[in-house]
Amino acid sequence: MVTMNLDLIAQMSCNPAIGGIAKGHLVREIDALGGIMGELTDQVGIQFRLLNTSRGPAVWSPRAQCDKRRYRVRMREILEQERNLRILQAEVARLNVSGERRRVTGVTLRDGRVVEAGAVVITTGTFLNGLAHVGEQTYSCGRNGEAPSNLLGDQLRFLDLAWTRLKTGTPPRLDGRTIDWSRFERQEGDRTPTPFSFLTARIDRPQIACHIAYTTEETHRLLRDSIARSPLYSGQIEGIGPRYCPSIEDKVVKFPDKVRHQIFLEPEGLDTYEVYVNGMSTSMPIDVQEAMVASVPGLESAEMMRPGYAIEYDAVDPRELTHSLEVKSIGGLFLAGQINGTSGYEEAGCQGLIAGLNAAAKLGGNDPVVVGRTEGYTGILIDDLVSKGADEPYRMFTSRAEFRLHLRIDNADERLTPLGRRAGLVSDERWAAFERKRAEKGMVRSLLSANRIGQEGVPAVGCEGEDRPALAVWLRRPEASIDVLSSWISERVGSAVGPGVLTTVETEFKYAGYIAQQERQIGRLRDAEGRRIPAELSYSAIPGLSTEIRQKLERVRPETLGQAGRIPGVTPAAIAVLDVYLSVVR
Amino acid sequence: MKLTDTIAAIATPAGRGGLGIVRISGASARAVAESVLRFRRAPEWRPWTVALAELADVDGAAVDRVVVTFFEAPRSYTAEDVVEIACHGSPVVLRFCLERACAAGARLAEPGEFTLRAYLNGRIDLPRAEAVRDLIDATTLYQARIASQQVDGAVSRRLRPVKDQLLELIALLEAGIDFADNDVDVAPVDEILRRISDVAAGVECLAASFAFGKLVHSGFSLAIVGRPNVGKSSLFNRLLEQDRAIVTDIPGTTRDLVSEAAAIDGIPIRFIDTAGIREGQDRVEALGIERSYQAIADADLTLAVVDLAEAFNDDDRAIIERARSRGRCLVVGNKADLTPAGAPDVDVRVSAVTGNGLAELRRRIIGEVAPEGIPQEAGFITSLRHAQLLGECLEALQHAQGAAGAGIPHEMLLLDLYAALAPLDAITGATTADDILNRIFSTFCIGK
Repeated sequence: MVTMNLDLIAQMSCNPAIGGIAKGHLVREIDALGGIMGELTDQVGIQFRLLNTSRGPAVWSPRAQCDKRRYRVRMREILEQERNLRILQAEVARLNVSGERRRVTGVTLRDGRVVEAGAVVITTGTFLNGLAHVGEQTYSCGRNGEAPSNLLGDQLRFLDLAWTRLKTGTPPRLDGRTIDWSRFERQEGDRTPTPFSFLTARIDRPQIACHIAYTTEETHRLLRDSIARSPLYSGQIEGIGPRYCPSIEDKVVKFPDKVRHQIFLEPEGLDTYEVYVNGMSTSMPIDVQEAMVASVPGLESAEMMRPGYAIEYDAVDPRELTHSLEVKSIGGLFLAGQINGTSGYEEAGCQGLIAGLNAAAKLGGNDPVVVGRTEGYTGILIDDLVSKGADEPYRMFTSRAEFRLHLRIDNADERLTPLGRRAGLVSDERWAAFERKRAEKGMVRSLLSANRIGQEGVPAVGCEGEDRPALAVWLRRPEASIDVLSSWISERVGSAVGPGVLTTVETEFKYAGYIAQQERQIGRLRDAEGRRIPAELSYSAIPGLSTEIRQKLERVRPETLGQAGRIPGVTPAAIAVLDVYLSVVR
Repeated sequence: MKLTDTIAAIATPAGRGGLGIVRISGASARAVAESVLRFRRAPEWRPWTVALAELADVDGAAVDRVVVTFFEAPRSYTAEDVVEIACHGSPVVLRFCLERACAAGARLAEPGEFTLRAYLNGRIDLPRAEAVRDLIDATTLYQARIASQQVDGAVSRRLRPVKDQLLELIALLEAGIDFADNDVDVAPVDEILRRISDVAAGVECLAASFAFGKLVHSGFSLAIVGRPNVGKSSLFNRLLEQDRAIVTDIPGTTRDLVSEAAAIDGIPIRFIDTAGIREGQDRVEALGIERSYQAIADADLTLAVVDLAEAFNDDDRAIIERARSRGRCLVVGNKADLTPAGAPDVDVRVSAVTGNGLAELRRRIIGEVAPEGIPQEAGFITSLRHAQLLGECLEALQHAQGAAGAGIPHEMLLLDLYAALAPLDAITGATTADDILNRIFSTFCIGK
């Protein structure tokens, strides 16, 4: 591992929060595969909330506010304990590629040393030719004053890969001692925190509160008045920013009828007063930022410790990649994270895991490790990237998942831990816990299917005088909850059954009809994924494909007919042609 | 079937007509035409222009003078190079022209292969492909006009606002899930229910148009029943005499009933006639009634014919009662010329002999066929496949209503809504996850 600053490994550039809707799912999947993000968050989290609980279990998602410094320090400790991992502080100046059919041979450091490697994973975040904007001022940086990675960035631009310029941003940070906290609504953590890791039994730690504030008409007026000084609107910023994470000036311009915008005041850690102003991301000049902050009731005398800024950086068109995140035209080169056009720690984390697994698999001569769309959000993310590219920084949403009911946080281990085990990432401890949970789940399922209400020894949970349904059937009623059965279940199973198992079983029984419906759709998708397209297929030989569609197919070179159908602009008619060509003509 | 072949077929219906067309489609369409035809001047093949040529037999003698039209790829019916050879319509000449084309390297097109290629090449979408088929099958001018409007996507156009409503609801619920930690209000149940029924009402309205669309597409059956000798045959012939030119013969049904097709106001109508049945010497009365009952069971509308010159007898009453109990029925009093006005209780008075009252009878028949009048705008459903898709959509919407009412979590309710969207997608084109996200981002101020 080569890093530009040993002390800043796992430094959180944006707010120190892990998870959130769909992102929490990704962290669970990382954990299920044997990654570290979940365990670490459970260790250093200072506020835990399970989001979306007013909806069904498929879209529940954990989120945690972390202690920014502890996250980074603890990560460094974990990495140093890792056997076979060498960590170097240095700047990678160039990638070494050789041969007619290009292959990676290692990297050259800025000091001239060469590190030989059969596989290289590049995870440059926002550092690649990073350029920060604060009002009219711009300066080269990777993150918050850290040096950018320009030598590598310049070389990558000449490797004949399609690349683009993206943009993201952060809000100002305030000194908590100068905030009038009494003016804001408190947002507490959950009484019982939901852990991210399947290995964390429970979290008993005092939690901090966040606070909810609102912008005012005055905030909007002064932003509108200064809009010409915004690098976003003056044309100074070329990169494309994410629509789901707009800067405050963008929100005010695009939604002029909205009289106030919500902002969250989030402490950055236990041993700092620094407060992250979530919702106020901006690249306005510093004087405008100060006025904007002061226009919020309760922040009149707040002192800004750091201003917000926008940052532009280089990214590679992810359609250059295969599903194992290897660059198609350069053997052994893998890319992960923001360089692939994504945003977010969780999106980056799952890619890093898959890229790393595949780099190792490649060197070991093993098959690529690929997570399918039906197996996890990780698979959806990668398939979307390599099929559709990234017009804006890509963030995960549950609505991107066509099989949302199946991809829950409670069953991420069932979906992915066996894969992680085969890939050698899942420890014996995790595997034993997984098998225990799996066995427990089987027992609970048969217990609930075999026992009918009203039978001797079965809890009376209502339904008097009716047809005595099995407990599994009774659970389908909207008012039925497995909680009332938990002690009886534990008694019959012979050990305390964890809440995770109960939730999984309850969900599977309660929504059996909908889940079965999804299973059928999953079957259909798997059929389409089973129709493989040869990598060397010549699209120009296929009659009836328009030039435009042919170019799209050639660019992505989809691996299956299913993937071809997900490429934007590839019409069902084109898929029919491809289908006919693959089955009839060949 | 190889999609790279140049194909040829006779593009006009079988039988003798004024003109007949042999169509050639594919990369070597021009080469094929050049070897089949003798041009006065070497053809320039300027797209979308016509040229005169001669079709010659193997000895070089001219068989026919033809008009050749060239459509250049991709702006042709199949999006390939197309040459159409318009011959004089003798089947023998057309077949000869086609044989020559095949000898020159074209392959005989499979049934529907031109339209298949047009579809596969993205030239037309599925509803349009179906509408083209309808246009080819059209037997009346009204059908043809409707079919040609369908080719222009009238159904898609009418469906779009309904689909938009559904997408809006989906975006609203998706925003509520994916941005629950943002400042997005959760839609209350009654609003969700109201929006679902708005969508359902729109889909139902379109689905209901199939009742009429089906008539335009496949016609309407009308039985003429009554006792012997009330004038059924004369009435039948009177009703058929207009539009005879486009009548097609339809063989008798399995029940030995005679039927013939004609059109009233452009709506094809199949007349089921009991009059042509040869009646035996005995059991005449019983047989007549039995035949009438069969015809009534087969028909969408029954004309119960009575003789105004005679009093109603039990058979008349039995036939009328049966016809009324089976659905739509008009009681027609015939022989109005022989009786003074104001006689028995009938819906229409006609005289099959003089033709009096026939116009009124036609008007009443159309009134029964299309109570709302005949729509001049297309955008009603004429294809069974569309009707089925709309049915699937409605079923899913019903399910969604149940789920919303029962407080089923939104991510599952959405499953029903996506199930309702899929059949609409099948008619108008697919919706992607990004389409939904785009709607969310343009509707809600999302992001922290």
